[in-house]
Amino acid sequence: MKRFSQLALPYIVWAVIMLLLPMLLIVLYAFTDTGNEIMTFRFTLANFVKFFTDRDFLLVLWRSIKIALKTTVICVLLGYPIAYFIAFSSDRLRNRLILCITLPTWINMLVRTYAWIGLLSDGGIFQQILGIFGLGDTELLYTEGAVLLGMVYNFIPFMILQINTSLTKMDRSLTDASHDLGADGIQTFLRVTLPLSLPGVVSGISLVFLPAVSSFSIPKLLGGGQFFLIGNVIENQFITVGEWNFGSSISLIMALIMMATMYVVRRLEAYSSGGRKERD
Amino acid sequence: MKRFGIICALALMAAGLSGCGGGEKGEYAGQTLHIYNWGEYTGENLISDFEELTGCDVIMDTFESNEQMYIRVAAQDSYDILVPSDYMIERLLQEDLLQPLDKSKLDCFDKLDPDVLGLPYDPDNEYSVPYFWGTVGIVYDKNKVALEDLEAEGFGIFADEKYKGDIYLYDSERDSFMMALKYLGYSMNTSDEAELNEAYEWLVGIVETMEPEIVTDEIIDNMAQGRKALGLIYSGDAAYVISENPDMGFYLPETGTNIWSDAMVIPKSAENPDLAHEFINFVSSYDGALDNSVTVGYTSPNLEVMEYLSGEDGDYYGIDAYIPRSGNKNDEVFSYDPDTRVIISDLWSRVKIAASNAG
Repeated sequence: MKRFSQLALPYIVWAVIMLLLPMLLIVLYAFTDTGNEIMTFRFTLANFVKFFTDRDFLLVLWRSIKIALKTTVICVLLGYPIAYFIAFSSDRLRNRLILCITLPTWINMLVRTYAWIGLLSDGGIFQQILGIFGLGDTELLYTEGAVLLGMVYNFIPFMILQINTSLTKMDRSLTDASHDLGADGIQTFLRVTLPLSLPGVVSGISLVFLPAVSSFSIPKLLGGGQFFLIGNVIENQFITVGEWNFGSSISLIMALIMMATMYVVRRLEAYSSGGRKERD
Repeated sequence: MKRFGIICALALMAAGLSGCGGGEKGEYAGQTLHIYNWGEYTGENLISDFEELTGCDVIMDTFESNEQMYIRVAAQDSYDILVPSDYMIERLLQEDLLQPLDKSKLDCFDKLDPDVLGLPYDPDNEYSVPYFWGTVGIVYDKNKVALEDLEAEGFGIFADEKYKGDIYLYDSERDSFMMALKYLGYSMNTSDEAELNEAYEWLVGIVETMEPEIVTDEIIDNMAQGRKALGLIYSGDAAYVISENPDMGFYLPETGTNIWSDAMVIPKSAENPDLAHEFINFVSSYDGALDNSVTVGYTSPNLEVMEYLSGEDGDYYGIDAYIPRSGNKNDEVFSYDPDTRVIISDLWSRVKIAASNAG
């Protein structure tokens, strides 16, 4: 046993360098400030005060969370039926469908998002289709709808795959038992299939919500320069403004918000499955 | 990608060899010139012609912003020629990253427009030779915008509610603040925080009431197709837009604008400065400059080329955006000040936040 645990050493070194160190640097930057000549940095909470006392920043944060929530809800509503269909089709068909879902993710996300620019732009194919119905002047690109579409498009595979995995793992004899005991299709779904697939939904939610709330390339490309989410604020602080300390503070605030969200989601899941056991 | 690179290298070598076989010059055969230039900023035959002339191989990398270029040059990546903008040349000089030109190897200065020589960032052109130059102005749809409005309001037309929802702003802190400061009658190189704040308030007013789209190079195609009435644009892009769509016009407000230039410089880390001087001569020559300006559409510093292209037989005949304005005392050249740069970047990101909170 001991020899095996020694094998983990390279991984631990790797994790420290690649995961822990950058995180620690962000925390260090977040709580410091470029000081004077003698002390190159000093500890301060000013960056956090600056963020939380500025109405504009809070509005951007609120809008980022809202759009991530919308993305997540749409992904669940669209992704669940698709995952359900995939999970309950024949083995051959299932493998092909999963390939169809994963295939686009082999292409770089930026490239695929650029493709949407062409599709949504003025005079693009979608506007031409709308033109048939006399709605040719509708602006598609550089709207919230375009950003939402880009996010759902990019993140929905994660939702589908997660739900599909938990549905595939489910013991099929349970639904048979449910039918034998007189439950109809809807009852079986609500009381057997859905609860058993919840862990997949929950991990799907984390895989969609987290990247959506901090995304900066999708709003930049599909929302235009006047569509700023919290990810863009952070990117801007690092790249153009050069305020690494303030940028790190916002990153840290975001990380804490994400951790809190995940904690709540996991508790909800534990609560719902725990509650059921008591009722049984 | 790697294989593609090898094929390219072979193709370049073949071109170099054939140039050598038939060429009279070929004195640089086997040598390599490393160029770092803006994307889509060279004439279609410029590089191959230069390779044929000298027998050398050219490797050109491209950048999208001065800041991106700066990072690699400051990290001592080896290039023989860079093409940064005015204020960035000033920064590179301040940080001692450029080497002085050997004027005995250059035969180009008498061909260049005196208006684009001796600019404040390099008063005696000891370090730089201009590559392209121009102004920043307003591109407008002549059918939607009256010239009288532009003359009366200048850059203030971007705050005129008549054109609400019908304007493009350019997503660049320097150009946006230039516009605001010039409208308010200040120097665009001001470091006075009160003036910068006033410019900031003016820009916030625009994004909150005018529903502008803040874009970058999309403005070129969109204005060529007449999608909106007004936009802030570089003169060279305006020349292209107008040559595509004669309904478009270009206006420079009397309150002044930015006279910008991009120029060739040789960094200290250059490995082949002799060849770099040769390249500067070639780009500045009539043939090289003509190829560049015809392909890219920006104004050539070569006087003869500029006069030919804006003359009766030229590609840009009758397009006044092609000839940068001279003689307006309000026009200025950018200078580099690190502290002001940080303030302006921060304020511009706040303008964009205000824009998205208003939407």
